[in-house]
Amino acid sequence: MSRDVYATALKSTLTEIKKMCPDINYSFIFGKDGAIIAGDEEPDALMEKTVHSFQNLAEKAAVIGELDALSINGEKGKLHISRFNKMYLVVAASPNMDTTYLHSVTNVIVPTVLKVLENIAPTPLKLTPTSLNLSPSQQLVVDTLTGFFAGSDVQIDGTHLEEWSQRLDGKDVDEVEIETIDGKKTRCRVKKINDSKRQGKKLILIPEKTCRDLEAKKGELVKVKPVAS
Amino acid sequence: MRKIFKVPNKNNLEEKIENLQGNLANIKTREGVIGYILRNQKSASVDIEDPSKMIDYAILSSTVLDSGEYMTTTFELGKVNHILVEGEDVKVLLLTIGDQRISVFMNKKVDHNAIYEDLRLK
Repeated sequence: MSRDVYATALKSTLTEIKKMCPDINYSFIFGKDGAIIAGDEEPDALMEKTVHSFQNLAEKAAVIGELDALSINGEKGKLHISRFNKMYLVVAASPNMDTTYLHSVTNVIVPTVLKVLENIAPTPLKLTPTSLNLSPSQQLVVDTLTGFFAGSDVQIDGTHLEEWSQRLDGKDVDEVEIETIDGKKTRCRVKKINDSKRQGKKLILIPEKTCRDLEAKKGELVKVKPVAS
Repeated sequence: MRKIFKVPNKNNLEEKIENLQGNLANIKTREGVIGYILRNQKSASVDIEDPSKMIDYAILSSTVLDSGEYMTTTFELGKVNHILVEGEDVKVLLLTIGDQRISVFMNKKVDHNAIYEDLRLK
C-alpha cells in the first residue's frame, strides 16, 4: 500500500469523524516529523504554521514527557491536538463541541484505522528522526564578560564541554544554544572558563552585548544546549 | 474622634488577582499538584516541587502561552479561557486572569477542571 493510499484512508477517516461530530470546522493529521499526512483540504500555510508552532512546543514539553495532547478552549472555538502513536490529529471545532464525545469518537476510530492499515502494510509512513530529539542541556547561571577583550564567545566549565562531547559520540562542542526563561534564544561559540575563580560554579559567562540582546541579567538561570560540530 | 476612611469598591477582577497567590498556595497542597508559576509583566512567583526543573517548566509555560496565542489567532478561537498541555507524565493548565499568567503543573490523574473552576471563580 502506497503512502497515497494510506493518506486517502486517513482522509476518509477524518470525513467520517466530521459526519459524527458536525461541530468540527477543520481537521488534519501530521506526523512527528512535521509532514502533513491527511486533511480536509490540501496542505496549506495554515497547516504548516500550526505544525511548526506545535513542534516548537513539543520540544519544550520534553520536561513533562512526550507531548500527548494540547487543548485550547476559547470563547469562539476549541482546538484539540492529540497524539496517536507517531501522528497527531488536529481538530478545530465550535465552542459547543462536546469534547468528551469527540475524544470517545477519535480514540476509537483513529487507532482502529491505523491498526488496520499497519496490518495491511506495515510502516508505510517512514517518519524521519524528528526535531523533538533533544541534545543534553544544562541550566547555568548567567555572569557577564566585560571589557575590551570580552569578544563574542561565551564561556562555561570545561567539564560540561567534555561531558557533552562524550554524550555526542566524541564530537567537539564549539557552539551552544542559549535560551532564557522568556524563550529568547541565541547561538554562540563556546570555550571553557579561564578564570579559576569562576570555575566549578555552574556559570555561563556571556559578553555584555549578548546579555543585552537576550535580555538576560546576571544571576538569572538560562538553558544551555550543545551544538555539535 | 473617629475617622472614617472611604474604601474604594474593588471590582471582581481586582479581587480575583489579590486572591490568586493564596488560591494557588492552597491548590499546591492538593494531592498530585506539582507546582505553579504566576507571572505578570513585573514579577514572577514560582513554587515547583523539583527546583531543578524550574527553568524548563518556566520555558514550557512561556512557549505554550506564545504558541497558544498564535494558534488562537490562526483558528479564530476568540478569548482563551484555558489551555491544557498533556505530556506522558505531567499535564499543565494555563490561564490568564487580568495581566496574571498562571500555569499549574500536576499529575495526569488530577482533575484540572476542578482547579480551573477554583481559580476562575474565587
